[in-house]
Amino acid sequence: MNLPIETEDLGKRYGDVRAVEHLSLRVAEGEIYAFLGLNGAGKTTTIRMLLGMIKPTTGYAKVLQTRVRIGKREPWESVGYMVEDPHAYAELTVYENLEVARRLHPGAPLKAVGQIIERLGLAAYVDRRAGTLSHGNAQRLGLAKALIHNPKLLILDEPANGLDPAGIVEIRELLLELTRAQGGTVFMSSHILAEVSRLAGRIGIIHKGHLLQELNTDELERNRRRRLLLRVREVESAYRVLIAADQPAKILQDGVIELKNAASIEHPDDINRLLVNAGTPPTQLMVEEEELEQYFLRLVGMDGGLENE
Amino acid sequence: MNNLSNMIWIELRKAIRSRMPLWTGLGSLFMPLGMAFLIFVAKNPEIFQKLGLVSAKANLMAYSATDWPSYLILFAEIISAGGFFFFVMAISWVFGREFADGTLKDMLAVPVQRSSILLAKFIVVAAWCAVLAIIIFILGLAVGAIILLPGGSSSVILHGSAVTAITVCLIIAVVLPFAFFASVGRGYLLPMGIAVLTLITANLMMVVGWAEYFPWAVPILYSQGESSLTPLSYWILFFTCLAGMLATYVWWKYADQNR
Repeated sequence: MNLPIETEDLGKRYGDVRAVEHLSLRVAEGEIYAFLGLNGAGKTTTIRMLLGMIKPTTGYAKVLQTRVRIGKREPWESVGYMVEDPHAYAELTVYENLEVARRLHPGAPLKAVGQIIERLGLAAYVDRRAGTLSHGNAQRLGLAKALIHNPKLLILDEPANGLDPAGIVEIRELLLELTRAQGGTVFMSSHILAEVSRLAGRIGIIHKGHLLQELNTDELERNRRRRLLLRVREVESAYRVLIAADQPAKILQDGVIELKNAASIEHPDDINRLLVNAGTPPTQLMVEEEELEQYFLRLVGMDGGLENE
Repeated sequence: MNNLSNMIWIELRKAIRSRMPLWTGLGSLFMPLGMAFLIFVAKNPEIFQKLGLVSAKANLMAYSATDWPSYLILFAEIISAGGFFFFVMAISWVFGREFADGTLKDMLAVPVQRSSILLAKFIVVAAWCAVLAIIIFILGLAVGAIILLPGGSSSVILHGSAVTAITVCLIIAVVLPFAFFASVGRGYLLPMGIAVLTLITANLMMVVGWAEYFPWAVPILYSQGESSLTPLSYWILFFTCLAGMLATYVWWKYADQNR
């Protein structure tokens, strides 16, 4: 199997601080892999190790089948990247910044600058100094620099940071096009699960330098906790009916009845029928799914999320 | 080679568009203009009677530069000390700005050798310093002509030009290691601070008589026409330059880059 990114026991220590530990990742060709974690979880350190900017203290990383070594020029010909904030030379125009990026990739043709300007919708800003760009446009310029040489692998650190909703959609479409039409691979970090769940095929969750979980979007859906919430006029009678029918009901503080067993969640119509037949029909019946952010926080131990059985 | 020319293009473009060469150029013009002013004050004491200290300094300057040969020596001396600061400013900017502005990371994972990137930076810094020196020197010659210094001839001017040119080359050689300080300090402050410390140390070395072995004092001694300089002095200077460039390369290639 072709693995554009592969790490084995990758780790980085700064004195007593373990920024990343025992990180073993496999990113398959043509996939969008999202690396999710809170600020300071170790995402940027991992990305910098993947890009040969910092030396790992343990393990190794391979990018495009080449073992990454600090200071080497392989395999960067086919790798585009954006690390942390998209800095550019403030005194140079957007065009000049892109020309600098092109010259740093000797394989990129002369016309690459014009093409990427068009692709990223930067035509209106070509002659603007990069220092005067809004954060969103600076982000766009950063992405243009990363894409100018048509890379096979794109490594992006928080690519949607600072973008407005339209910009986020644009980036999403751009990355999807890169993987679907061109067979490229994207490795991106983010701290927003909802954002990456719409885009990534696979998600790796990192917390305090450790990879907690790797899952695809289907697994993500399955792992999210769900519950059935019922509103009734006579709470106590409805509760008694449910308990008598062996349903593990619970009355919440606001008088809502909660059911978290799989049968109730999968077949709320059965619960409805039971209550109607008992003369305590529900006024509201709703299956609530755990929010993505709640799920993420629960996973990293920062929030209780929806308690499940 | 193609990569190097591309990297030189990048460095030149960054330098020119930043206007830093313009500011350092304007700043360094104060050297010949300041000299001209002080000589003018010394020659016209009645106008500047009330200036006190300035007048005393001007007299000192005027006595040091009574004719073209002594004026050119004084000029080379001023370049060796004052020019040094402007040159350090140039190299601090070329290297330190990549760290201070966060643009370094865009140069690290690219299919271009870091040696090409660094060599281009060193070439642009050397060219920048040389252009600054030429501007200062031409203005200095104009000042000498305007104040009608005696004893000028083409051979005197040629000799003075050669001394100044060699002094400038020696200064550039001792300025190049400041790229390492800008890289380690990840900005401008460390190289500028060390530049001040270096000049103080150079003066101290002159007092204790070891200046010929202190590389940053060698250009000053050379500009003064000191006979105390030996081949060893030049070797020390050469190896300091080389060691500084090599240390910069090693730092860029092997140090963790977190910015």
